[in-house]
Amino acid sequence: MIQTIGRNVLLVFRNTGIAMFMLLEAFRDIPFMFTKRHRHDVLHQQFLTGIKSLGVITVVALFTGMILALQTGLELRRYGQEVYIGSAVSVVMLREMGPFMTGLIIAASVGSAIAAQIGTMTVSEEIAALDVMSIRPVRYLVTPRLVAMITMMPLVTFYTNVIGIIGGGIVGQTQLGVSFTAYIDNATQYAENKDLYVGLFKSILFGIIIATVACHQGFFASQGAVGVGRATRRTVVISFLTILTVGYMITRLFYQ
Amino acid sequence: MIRFEKVSKRFGNAVILDDIDYEIQDGETFVIVGASGAGKSVSLKHMVRLLTPDSGRVIVGDDCINEARGNKLDEIRNRFGYLFQGAALMQWLNVGDNVGLPLRMKTKLSDEEIDQRVLEKLEMVNLGDAFAKHPSELSGGMRKRVGLARAIVTDPEIILYDEPTSGLDPVTSRTIDRLIDRLRVELGVTSVVVTHDLHSALAIGTRIAMLYEGKIVELSTPEKFVKSENEVVRSFLEAQYITTRGDWEKGM
Repeated sequence: MIQTIGRNVLLVFRNTGIAMFMLLEAFRDIPFMFTKRHRHDVLHQQFLTGIKSLGVITVVALFTGMILALQTGLELRRYGQEVYIGSAVSVVMLREMGPFMTGLIIAASVGSAIAAQIGTMTVSEEIAALDVMSIRPVRYLVTPRLVAMITMMPLVTFYTNVIGIIGGGIVGQTQLGVSFTAYIDNATQYAENKDLYVGLFKSILFGIIIATVACHQGFFASQGAVGVGRATRRTVVISFLTILTVGYMITRLFYQ
Repeated sequence: MIRFEKVSKRFGNAVILDDIDYEIQDGETFVIVGASGAGKSVSLKHMVRLLTPDSGRVIVGDDCINEARGNKLDEIRNRFGYLFQGAALMQWLNVGDNVGLPLRMKTKLSDEEIDQRVLEKLEMVNLGDAFAKHPSELSGGMRKRVGLARAIVTDPEIILYDEPTSGLDPVTSRTIDRLIDRLRVELGVTSVVVTHDLHSALAIGTRIAMLYEGKIVELSTPEKFVKSENEVVRSFLEAQYITTRGDWEKGM
């Protein structure tokens, strides 16, 4: 029992170490992404991470904002303070829900797709083929995805924030009797620049986490289709848990 | 020249290579045969350091590849082309981009020069019209030939073939055999072929090594290989209906 726990703890440390080395190598290769050979790969990954995710992001962000506004609005109405839903929704969206919801959606959609793609490449010897051709798999596969995550996550998170706040405004206008102008006035009055910046900073970290976990899981996929499925599932689970933990730590760091 | 010096490899409790020694000369087509799981592909992977031995050394030219790192490893690997068993083509790239991948990533050649070189190699494998197709649109034999075109696009000194004819019909298999032989004759490349297709091995090999239970039980020319008195070799030959001991002749 103790042996099993010990072995698993060691395995976690080992995998974390390998993932960190891979991440360092990917960061070191970022300058190569500005060359003609890699620029197209980065743009393609940015398209997949950002543009292709906008549909689901829009729906989730809109309803997140609407639910937030409704829940807080109904409580505030008991005290005749429903006009304050603007500040409640904007602060919660900017600080927490925007980056958090974006992180979860990107992990579940883009992260799992990355793990499945690289996992399939691993089990079908495509990664080995890259090694033999002296093409570094980290530079060829990880760095473009990492750059795409770092650049697109803040943009998508900003978009999530805007849509979420608009969703809250719609509920305020239609169900709580708070005009959209009053809602926006209240939202901009109480939300600070710091809320936006910390949220965007979080989103960058979440992007790094998703890219690292997904690529690492993909590279270590084994045993064919079952292994690829396992890598995909682990990517989503590990990304979710890490996003939650890191999200809390960042909040703790900036809002004591 | 590739030399295995007392190379051993285990996976868990299974001994795959047991203190193996052999040498592959420049310009020859060295064929490794054996049953499934005998360690043929494992041997091949040691030559390009996709695997490292538990003990022993693998020498390529003057360099020990299992001790090489970084640029030195790249330098040694650049001497190789490798045809993987399933061709290992990048599924999202078309045939032209797959074949041109090593040139695009490692050289400063212009796109036009790369396309020209790719077309030349594709024509060598009779796939000049497949440039824009994707791997999913190709048959198994065509994929292997695209893999072969990619393996030779950098004009390597040594080409490694992992089961080049497995899963292919006899006619396509012989086409691949002829291509391998043509590369040796016309370009003078050293070839190492892993197969359990003895017909193919006898047709293209200049020497054949038989792996069994981690050891090389026979290493000889095709002419001597068919006459071998080794029980393992005999049963392997007879399983593929090659029973001739004295009158076998090499032919393509």
